[in-house]
Amino acid sequence: MKQQLLKEDDVIREMKKALAETLRIDEDTIQADSSLINDLGAESLDFLDVVYQMEQTFGIKMARHQVLEHVEELFGEDTAVDPDSGELTPGAVALLKLRFGEESVEIPEDMDMDDVPTLVTVRSMSRAVLDILDTLPSACEACGATDWKRDDNKIACSACDAPGTFENGDDLTRAWLTKAQEEHKLF
Amino acid sequence: MENLPFLDKVAIVTGSSRGIGHAIAFALAREGADLIVTYRRSGKSAEKAEALCVQIRDLGRRAVAVQGDIAVKADVQRMVSEGVEALGRLDFLILNAAVAPFKPIEKLFEKELKALVGVNYTGNILCLQAALPHLEKSGGTVVFISSLGSRFYNPSYPLGSMKAAMEAVVRDCGESLRDRGVNINGVCAGLVKTDSFKVLRQLWEGIDQIPEALFLQPEEVADVVNFLCSPASKAIRGQTIVVDHGMSNRLYSGG
Repeated sequence: MKQQLLKEDDVIREMKKALAETLRIDEDTIQADSSLINDLGAESLDFLDVVYQMEQTFGIKMARHQVLEHVEELFGEDTAVDPDSGELTPGAVALLKLRFGEESVEIPEDMDMDDVPTLVTVRSMSRAVLDILDTLPSACEACGATDWKRDDNKIACSACDAPGTFENGDDLTRAWLTKAQEEHKLF
Repeated sequence: MENLPFLDKVAIVTGSSRGIGHAIAFALAREGADLIVTYRRSGKSAEKAEALCVQIRDLGRRAVAVQGDIAVKADVQRMVSEGVEALGRLDFLILNAAVAPFKPIEKLFEKELKALVGVNYTGNILCLQAALPHLEKSGGTVVFISSLGSRFYNPSYPLGSMKAAMEAVVRDCGESLRDRGVNINGVCAGLVKTDSFKVLRQLWEGIDQIPEALFLQPEEVADVVNFLCSPASKAIRGQTIVVDHGMSNRLYSGG
């Protein structure tokens, strides 16, 4: 269910805090559309720190594997990356355009697998957090109550205080991919 | 006068731009060794390797950083020959570099399997082969860096099976290199909070419950490597020593 307790602004604010701490940079230099790698100088290992902090902050589990790893797991080895050139397949490029929005980022046709993380921005990562938060069930799994409250940055049951339960990021990615494949037949 | 047991000795530590390898290289240098620092990727790894060399030179020792992929034979031969050419000899080979995907074995793609074996098995043996003539000359020592994954299951740690193979290599080469005057041992390290821990943390439910006292510092692994390079350990051959603050003995952990 689309929850209303935590909004995009809340997530972006926490994301900026986490990034500033991890990358030891000034929070004011971070924009919603900053690329973590290209604009903020993050390395792939820094992503893990930020993801970990988001998980602790919001009580969620984010995806452990990036979308193109899921593509090969679902649709077969070499469906996302050409094994000879190391470049993305046309299907993978089309998929990234769907995922990241063609208007917000430029995705070259001959993109290399290693460059995919450069597409991640503060906003796209916040979106991933919100997508997970929006899987909050309508009723509390512990007591069945249907009213949720916000406790600092976590969602909890108003009746029994049990923490909100959410789907994990990898499951959401797989579900999104399955749907995208049905609609667009990319692979 | 300074007591430097490894003065005039030369060590090569694979994958020493960060993490455990970094700590090992620095600890060897502190005991007097000159260092060949190896790293794979340009960019931040290269910067870190160069920064480590500067630190080592500040100790009054010599250091060179060489770049290459241990899975590629030509790279290995070049790294060893460049290093030995620069520093004149080779006494200690510390095989620390490792790389692996974090996913269950049955889900590994062919390319991931090839990379897993190529770096963690083949790559280490290529290093051993390239270094052997120099180690024979110096009566040198090889230390492999293994991990508890060699003995204990983790669902997302296919590297563990490679570490088990590594420990078998330590046993076998302990014997096969005996007559060539080269000693080989291993260190099986417990949980260390290096960069790769950040990945493990994501995949290991409940790792937060493990008491802080059971985690290792990279320097503690380095201390045991120093011991295995020193004459004090000369009676140890073909063994892998578990260095884990006793964590692996705690199947019973009732408070």
